[in-house]
Amino acid sequence: MYIGKDVPHDSALGHVTGRSLYVDDMPRLAHELIVDFLWSPHAHATILSLDVEPARAIEGVAGVYTYRDLRHNRLGPIDQDEPLLVEDTVMFRGQPIVVIAAESREAIRAAKAAIRIEYGVLRPILTIEDAIAANSYLGESRFIRRGDVDAAFASADHVIEGIFENGGQDHFYLESQAALATPGELGALTVLSSTQHPTEVQEVIAHLLGLDMSQVVVQTKRMGGGFGGKEAQATHPAVMVALVAQKLGRPARIVYDKDSDMHVTGKRHPFRNRYRAGFTRAGELVALRVELYSDGGAYADLSPAVMARAMTHAENAYFIPNVDIRGTVCRTNMPPNTAFRGFGGPQGVATIENVLEEIAQFLGKDAYDIRRANCYGDEPRNTTPYCQVVENNTLPRLFTELADRCDYRARMKAVRAFNAESKTQLKGLALTAVKFGISFNTKFLNQASALVNIYLDGSVQVSTGATEMGQGVNTKIRQLVADTLGVQLERVQVMVTSTEKSNNASATAASSAADLNGSAAVDACSRLRARLDEVLERHGGNPSWEELVMLAYHDRVSLGERGFYATPRIDWTWLSSANTGGYGHPFLYFTMGTACSEVLIDRFTGTMKVLRSDVLMDIGRPINPGVDRGQLVGGFIQGMGWVTTEELRYTESGELLSHSPTTYKIPNVHDVPEVFNVDWIEHENPVNVAGSKAVGEPPLLMAISVWCAAKHALSFVANGTPARLRLPATNEELLMRITEYTKRGAAVAG
Amino acid sequence: MRDYVILHVNGEPVRVTGDGIFESLSRFLRVRRGAAGTKVVCEEGDCGACTVLIGRRDGDRLRYRAVNSCIQFVFQLDLAHVVTVEGLGAGALTPVQDAMVRCHGAQCGYCTPGFVMAIAGMCEEEETDAARGITGNLCRCTGYEPIVKAANESFATQKRMDAVYPSAPILERIAEHERTPVRIANFFKPKTLADAIAFKSEQPRCVIVQGGTDFGVWCNKRNFVPPAVLSLDGVEGLSDISVDGRELVVGARVPLAEFERAVRDLVPELREIMDRFGSPQIKNAGTLAGNIANASPIADTLPFLYVTGATLELTGLAGIRRVAVADFYKGYKTLDLRADEIITRVRIPLPSDGDTLRLYKVSKRSHLDISSFTAAMLMRRTDGRIDSMRVAYGGVGPVVLRLGKTEEFLKGKAISAETFAEAGEIARGEIAPISDVRGAREFRLQLAENALCRFYYDACL
Repeated sequence: MYIGKDVPHDSALGHVTGRSLYVDDMPRLAHELIVDFLWSPHAHATILSLDVEPARAIEGVAGVYTYRDLRHNRLGPIDQDEPLLVEDTVMFRGQPIVVIAAESREAIRAAKAAIRIEYGVLRPILTIEDAIAANSYLGESRFIRRGDVDAAFASADHVIEGIFENGGQDHFYLESQAALATPGELGALTVLSSTQHPTEVQEVIAHLLGLDMSQVVVQTKRMGGGFGGKEAQATHPAVMVALVAQKLGRPARIVYDKDSDMHVTGKRHPFRNRYRAGFTRAGELVALRVELYSDGGAYADLSPAVMARAMTHAENAYFIPNVDIRGTVCRTNMPPNTAFRGFGGPQGVATIENVLEEIAQFLGKDAYDIRRANCYGDEPRNTTPYCQVVENNTLPRLFTELADRCDYRARMKAVRAFNAESKTQLKGLALTAVKFGISFNTKFLNQASALVNIYLDGSVQVSTGATEMGQGVNTKIRQLVADTLGVQLERVQVMVTSTEKSNNASATAASSAADLNGSAAVDACSRLRARLDEVLERHGGNPSWEELVMLAYHDRVSLGERGFYATPRIDWTWLSSANTGGYGHPFLYFTMGTACSEVLIDRFTGTMKVLRSDVLMDIGRPINPGVDRGQLVGGFIQGMGWVTTEELRYTESGELLSHSPTTYKIPNVHDVPEVFNVDWIEHENPVNVAGSKAVGEPPLLMAISVWCAAKHALSFVANGTPARLRLPATNEELLMRITEYTKRGAAVAG
Repeated sequence: MRDYVILHVNGEPVRVTGDGIFESLSRFLRVRRGAAGTKVVCEEGDCGACTVLIGRRDGDRLRYRAVNSCIQFVFQLDLAHVVTVEGLGAGALTPVQDAMVRCHGAQCGYCTPGFVMAIAGMCEEEETDAARGITGNLCRCTGYEPIVKAANESFATQKRMDAVYPSAPILERIAEHERTPVRIANFFKPKTLADAIAFKSEQPRCVIVQGGTDFGVWCNKRNFVPPAVLSLDGVEGLSDISVDGRELVVGARVPLAEFERAVRDLVPELREIMDRFGSPQIKNAGTLAGNIANASPIADTLPFLYVTGATLELTGLAGIRRVAVADFYKGYKTLDLRADEIITRVRIPLPSDGDTLRLYKVSKRSHLDISSFTAAMLMRRTDGRIDSMRVAYGGVGPVVLRLGKTEEFLKGKAISAETFAEAGEIARGEIAPISDVRGAREFRLQLAENALCRFYYDACL
């Protein structure tokens, strides 16, 4: 049996020897062209004139294309509102205007310089505040509501309110966006794309180039990281190379350089949330009103879905009887913000964890006690504001067990003593929770197929719609297939993801690729195994796997099968009535966890060090503990980046200043907590494949404990009022807050 | 005179001539040699994905160091042996690679070859602190834990490069070439200092490329085309580091890694700065002279060199001239350096027993980050009183500054928290920092004020 075993990643050997191939590594093809595009240097402008002729005249330039060269020019995963190439108005800095194909990089550079564009620069909207002031939104506000919030505020012992702001985050996948198109016969195209969503790439190429989807094959061998950034936005480069291949009948490849990638692609959504919370003297929440505002950027992209997840995670692990959540996506002149691991969940969860931290600071109580008291429990304290019952709830256990394991009480005492003593440093400690819903909010996306073929020698190929970006989905599927068929792991090969094998696949997203595609693969394998068992029964004896396969072949029994899976039970409705809002059972189950972090902050420089983090999760029964541990540890550190050092800085005209690793700081090995304990509880998940749980996104949210610990540290200089803190808590942000509070304290004391 | 450079790649000799020598090593490997294992991500030496090992003669063997191949150019690799991930085990899986597989050290795999090579580089240097060894490599998937584990489990058994590729035959093949200078188009690699100075005086706009760690960034990111390139790699006598009386003397070719090793015990206060300064890959390539000549107002070594009174030995047609580091900068990236002059040595007076030295580097991320603010303070005291105080700040103006008024104020004062708090306010008034991607003006002003308070708590209690 392989399920539950720590099997190495199925590409590990290729990775460590440099033999794993990515789009940029494929050997150059004969007559291949380099593709790049010219993008707008302005965030908002009208194009007064555009002259590409001088570029065409440059030696080595093979093609120069504008929107006029496309059959259609609109794309988007939800609303098709985004032009691939600018028509008359630029809506964000980095928006593609002209596609260039050339023999050399030098020719590309020369072509870009030769294109003449006259812009009529318009005033851009660059922040959420600006968008609200200008009434600039993407769609209508949505609501999730329960109870009577105003009445509850009126009767609450205390009410606090404030604004929580978080910044964006660049995906910083190591492999930038890339695609390679080769022309086939009679207009057909094959595109190798670094995408989490081959079907969307296929669909958009077909639509924009006027082809049938059946004429376009999109393949994804692997990505050098995706994290959501290649869910919707891998489409753009893929269409560009497909356009060149179609026009010129030559292979065409595009690979963004890192700086361009960071300039032109969307990020995690910045949010600016107004909150008002009512609670009892004991710290029990009675009412919460949250107005969530996200910066959607210039086009819808996945913003409505991201907002939906933020809204369904705004209460996180806590039962709140009266709730009024409103979600509004602002339209700005930033690149369209997009999916990023957590998909709105982190922004919703950080908002409520911030509120709980403030309630504790307001009441002068330990935040752990406040959280524990508000945590989802038994009926009737187990229903979410959108009516889904929290089943198999392990949150109370995770809280108690982690607090014990990490010696929370004693350490909190030590932190208080340290802060009373130290003139140079501050410590903070916080234990936070996560309850992360698993399934796409959009019901129809929760389906997957798998194709399993057994060959004459007994070797097996499996193809699914899941794409491999390092998360180990192929390794898990391989284990599931081997066990279900009863064959050696080495005999199972997970094939390149191809739209030819898995049609109409959903994106590899929402942490659910292994759930969906693994279940589909198990479905196919179960039927194959049943047929093989019949053969076995017929022939008797004790044949080896290889002999059994041969017997089946000679008996003319089909050795191929297609499996299918559609997630049961789930449902979601957005009522148009503003009074009720969204409700249903959007998630098959929840992945849960708690995390406790302790930080040390220098009072004079704001420099923060994470001294210790303890993470305890309920991830069901892992299919591959090694792979899952990788997700837990890696996700936590990526989340730490979001809440600490990863700051996107822009000029006043919307130009991104932090556009490469020199200026944009993702965590380094030295940022890993000095003590870092990551573990999970034994708890089988009865509703998912092999008793497992999805594990991709939830650990990222565990890092919110680091931010809350920083906020807790600040409370020691904030003189009894809740300390305000932006996210990310950079050294600059921390020093400015410390300075502000210290000066205020000195003024009060004076 | 040679009109080609000769290098080895995974044991195989390669000659390159013409424009090919100006190609980056990563491109040369990936495109010319078809070895796509070496990944390119940032093209500015800040992610480590393109790490390779470079072996150079060290006596009768080759000594290997990890460097970023995206900011190395083929002309810099004359007489060197380049080992890539494809050639690491010469066909066999090495212990580092095997441990990376077992420990789940690779997820998406794009950073993996770089990590494998960086860990192999640690083994060459007998570095056993895994975190130090992989400071220069970014991973977005794993959270580093499994990579550190893999490094710890494997470096004891990893074979050294000269066991995989015996040095002797390689050195034999390059021996005859070592004796000859190289001239290819506007690239010159002389054998003598006199020839170097003559070339520089004829080509006053030439760029001296030693480590090339910033030069590579200009080329990759700003399409910089150097009017001429001068390499001092063939010039003898510039690679020594020694103590001369109370001075540390650092030759122009000494890599920062060597400098770091030398000062570890001589100037313990510098240890943390050198540790956080940059990655092994950068320190293996870059030089102290290069850090000085590059003239960044936030160069991490400069405040230290200012307060210790370090001097530069500049050699030109007229002989040797000495200039204090603090007087070397005439304005933003403007140097007191004549057209024919070359920085040949840096002389650093070592702090004496009575000196209190503290160095500060504030950056958004602790390691591998360009500073928002840097400071050096050197105090001499008698009992509770300050005899003299030198304060140098970086990141607060176009050049690193000595804070004259603050120093004057502190002179003769009794040591107390109040004294330093007041000094901090004076310091704030002496500078006019700008807001940029590394911090707002107000942040830098506050750091400038606080640094003196921090010094009090660090050094005066």
